[in-house]
Amino acid sequence: MSYPSPLTTRLALAGALLFTAPPLLASDAWQRLEPARALVGDAVPEGDGLVLELPHVSEDGSAVPLTVRFEPVLEDDAIASIHLFATGNPYPEVAGFHFTEQAARPEVSTRVRLNESQRVVAVAVSREGRVWTSEREVRVTVSGCLIRGDEETPEALANPRVSLPDFRAGEPGEVRTLITHPMETGLREGPDGEVLPRYIIETFRVSLDGETAFEAELHPSVSANPYLRFYLTPQAEGEALFEWQDDSGERAEYRAELTLS
Amino acid sequence: MTHTALVAWSGLAIGLLFGATGQRTGFCLFRGLQRQWLDGDGRKLRAFALAMAVALLGSQGLASLGWVSLGASLYPTASLSWLLVPLGGVLFGYGMALANGCGARSLVLLGSGNLRSFVVLICLGVAAYMTMSGVLAPLRLWLEGLTALPLPARDLPALLAGFGLTPGLARGLPSLLLGGSLLAYALSHGPLRAAPREWLGGLIIGALIPAAWYATGVLGQDDFEPVRLASLTFIAPIGDALQYLMLATGTALGFSVTLVLGVLLGALAAALLTRTFVWQGFPTPQRMLRSMAGGTLMGIGGVLALGCSIGQGLTGFSTLALTSFVAIAGILAGTRLGVSGPLALSKV
Repeated sequence: MSYPSPLTTRLALAGALLFTAPPLLASDAWQRLEPARALVGDAVPEGDGLVLELPHVSEDGSAVPLTVRFEPVLEDDAIASIHLFATGNPYPEVAGFHFTEQAARPEVSTRVRLNESQRVVAVAVSREGRVWTSEREVRVTVSGCLIRGDEETPEALANPRVSLPDFRAGEPGEVRTLITHPMETGLREGPDGEVLPRYIIETFRVSLDGETAFEAELHPSVSANPYLRFYLTPQAEGEALFEWQDDSGERAEYRAELTLS
Repeated sequence: MTHTALVAWSGLAIGLLFGATGQRTGFCLFRGLQRQWLDGDGRKLRAFALAMAVALLGSQGLASLGWVSLGASLYPTASLSWLLVPLGGVLFGYGMALANGCGARSLVLLGSGNLRSFVVLICLGVAAYMTMSGVLAPLRLWLEGLTALPLPARDLPALLAGFGLTPGLARGLPSLLLGGSLLAYALSHGPLRAAPREWLGGLIIGALIPAAWYATGVLGQDDFEPVRLASLTFIAPIGDALQYLMLATGTALGFSVTLVLGVLLGALAAALLTRTFVWQGFPTPQRMLRSMAGGTLMGIGGVLALGCSIGQGLTGFSTLALTSFVAIAGILAGTRLGVSGPLALSKV
């Protein structure tokens, strides 16, 4: 009967460790998210570039301000979309933003719901299929504001608000939009104990003279009264159409004439 | 300048004025009550009453002009914890007697070189956050849910409108009646009229309440990212300021933090300019313990009662919120316990 020598044991252990260690070390949060893995596909995420801005600590998990932007300038390539995930939410998908040449600056701010302390993940995909990821840990505490009664809820999709800058040709201009909508998750109970049905805005689109410039798909983790700040780079003067579409089939729109200075 | 930066700078300016005024006049609810109850000297208490009147008339004036909607502030709650709001007031009042002054007063004193106040402030800020979102928060939320009492209305104007008064009358009547009686109470007192320092203090600090409503409500107005309507209060803001020191890279600088900084700097400037800055510490460990207990009770009580002697006594009161009247009664009761009776503390 022969026992493995201590050296063999150690070698075997080391081999086992080597074999198992890389996946453990490289287990970024996006790898545990099916929709994020699908986005990344076979690509290898690249390092710095994608910046995710969130407060370290938030005492109001129902509206956490978030900014995501891609900083480097790519040669012969551009960011096509940025996707946000909240790993600790019942629905991890938060939102996806699609950029075009008329929305060439990949930077978006919004407000999101985080139901506990967790890791927020952003994935950026370029037209050529390159991928960047970024993660940020956020601590969510119970609300500091004490008892607040339910406010009377204003009519959904009423009152779309859009603020436009003075655009200059070829330069990105900051656009801010807000629309009244409860963004009911379908998980919350109403005052009578009945679960309130899911009722959310699913898509937001900006078209310049009929051509889509910027598009956002929204999920229940986007806060009530969705707020979006992004950049448009109009190439020519024309009509801008802002459209919000909710899952009941209703839509709201806002039209504006774009002038370039 | 963005609207949020503008609000932050206004917080600093209002804080500077508050700090300098507090340092020069000794404006303080606790000192007012103590002198009234123990020495029969009513000047400081009536200066506080004057501040209440000015804050009320100014704030309701702003609201009736439609510039700010005071209902968006945190004071006019739809329901009230019948246990925590009065209990918080009592804890705050007793803590104020232990620490020999409220949170705002401690900031002013620290700016004048009083290191005892430093201990009070640290304990106050930590205890406030423990109660708001820390280890005591689950207990607070549980008790709040257990003892919530729906209110017939959020504030006095809404209550009176329920009896059929027109909106203008429902706001004007309680404002003028309460404001008028407080003014009469303050100004009918000869010794107060003869002490310009006292009444000026009340006048200026009272006027800072509507000024702060204006800063957060009008300057901070934005369709997309409105600043939360707020005015002077010191319990949560002292906690916010401590948190900001530790987490500045991940938190936004808001009105509450610049307000606290302003009070400290305003008092420091006034103390240095008038050569009244004196370093002071604890004579005994017992006094230190007393200050720590006072700060802690004020932090916990101030959060439970949604405000301190300034936050509820002036700011909450200026909104005529029903909750504020309960909290103020609690604060007065707690202070009374600390000043006279079986639980009275020695005067220091």
